[in-house]
Amino acid sequence: MNKGLAIIGAAEVPTKRDPERSRWDILLDVCIGAVRDAGIGKDDVGAVISVNPMAQAQMSLDMALGKIPEQLGMKGCRDICVTNAGGTSTTNALRLAEWFIDGGHADYVLVPHTTVQSDIPVEELINFFATAPLDKQWEYPYGVTFNGAMGLITNRYMYESGATAEDMAAVTVSLRGWAALDPMSIFYGKPVTLDDVLESRMISTPLHAKECNFLADGGGALVVTSHERARELDRPAAYKLGHGVRFTGATPSLRDDVFFREAYRESSQEALKNAGLSIDDMALRQIYGAYPFTQCSALEGYGICEEGDGFRPWAEGRCGPGGDLPCTTMGDATGRGHTGSGVSMAFYIDTVRQLRGEAGERQVENCEFALLTTSGGSVMNTATTIFGRSSR
Amino acid sequence: MSDYAKPLPEIQPFTRPFWEGTRQRQLLVQHCNACDANIFYPRRECPECWSKDLGWIKSSGRATVYAFSVTYEGVEQMFVEDLPIILAWVDLPEGIRLQTNLLDCDPEAVEIGMEVEVVFKDVTDEITLPFFAPVGRP
Repeated sequence: MNKGLAIIGAAEVPTKRDPERSRWDILLDVCIGAVRDAGIGKDDVGAVISVNPMAQAQMSLDMALGKIPEQLGMKGCRDICVTNAGGTSTTNALRLAEWFIDGGHADYVLVPHTTVQSDIPVEELINFFATAPLDKQWEYPYGVTFNGAMGLITNRYMYESGATAEDMAAVTVSLRGWAALDPMSIFYGKPVTLDDVLESRMISTPLHAKECNFLADGGGALVVTSHERARELDRPAAYKLGHGVRFTGATPSLRDDVFFREAYRESSQEALKNAGLSIDDMALRQIYGAYPFTQCSALEGYGICEEGDGFRPWAEGRCGPGGDLPCTTMGDATGRGHTGSGVSMAFYIDTVRQLRGEAGERQVENCEFALLTTSGGSVMNTATTIFGRSSR
Repeated sequence: MSDYAKPLPEIQPFTRPFWEGTRQRQLLVQHCNACDANIFYPRRECPECWSKDLGWIKSSGRATVYAFSVTYEGVEQMFVEDLPIILAWVDLPEGIRLQTNLLDCDPEAVEIGMEVEVVFKDVTDEITLPFFAPVGRP
């Protein structure tokens, strides 16, 4: 039997915009925090697999060329690596960590991330998010931004599904509802109403400012080990039970799977099959899509709703706080603040919290199993992982 | 025209015929002579069968709006003068979809399914970008 992966330590810093808080301050805080949370010593870390920070070349190099274990004096570290797949970098880091652990190359692997965007000029960030995940020859010359590309898809989603502006705004209200209860969110204590969303500035139709991502600083880290070792440690852990992934394509205007629905469907079915579970066993669905329509098309892909009906449970308030179909308690990038490749890190950490019963006011009842979907680039891929409270 | 400040397409050797076509007011679609696929964007090898036997067919330049988004803010400085920008994905009868902008069009009047046709704009001496505009506009 596959030895499997278990997350036994997690730490993060509150998401905010604060250029005084340096990339290394965040990184050291989350690395030390996650190792302590795991209850291991620094020299027990056998490998450091870092999540590449977007648009921060020096930190990418520091991570890629070994500065983290050196700074922290991790004497048991055998190797390091950086993974870069945008928003699925954390997923890739965990897959590589599993290889280290399954192969006996490391007992414990540290997976850290840090991002500071508040010291980067806005113009540079718009350029980065317009050129990195979009096509420079066929899209960028037309003034397409990340918001513009996602506006195009949202517009088509609303056309096909019949969802109204109010229906779509309800997604953001629920996401911000979760975020308002989360001390780690940039919008902690700041819920919004339907009117707040609909009256916010129009950025790229049909997306209002509050439906777009707020670029922020943050960071987090995970410590992972095998199922077997996690059980022996006798500490609450999140056990990876199944995984599936699909590639959709790099360029938004070229994708057949416009809403990523098929990728959500196939990756979730594969992950659930690996885990020997069904979608109905999931107490929580965590969807990292960064834009509200993905929260809807994912529910269609998972088979919870018919095609074109995924907006309805959101509009009915069923997916937000107090609802019977809790989704994305992490708040997604719209609620948490967008920390580049760090959004998925925050999703993993929130999933660990939910499974360990540490999610405070956002705690989902009887959270035995959770499904987490992450995506990279402009949703060039879709990776779904099933986690459970025990190794089964 | 040489003071054009907006980004230009980064042309590769195997995409050059497309851009030579637009300079001559022609919208060319790459075509695989081996498997008969129409290809966008242009590749060195056919993405369906990896044949290198690729040619070009001339599109009528008519298309249908598949999706649109009107951008009012959040662009780089060089695009600000163009706001609001109508982004559109248009479907050609040749079975390909292009990212473009709609010109000569009221942002409030754009609809999915709208019939549009290609409009060529020489933005520099070397580059002509294909835009689209509503069919039958005055």
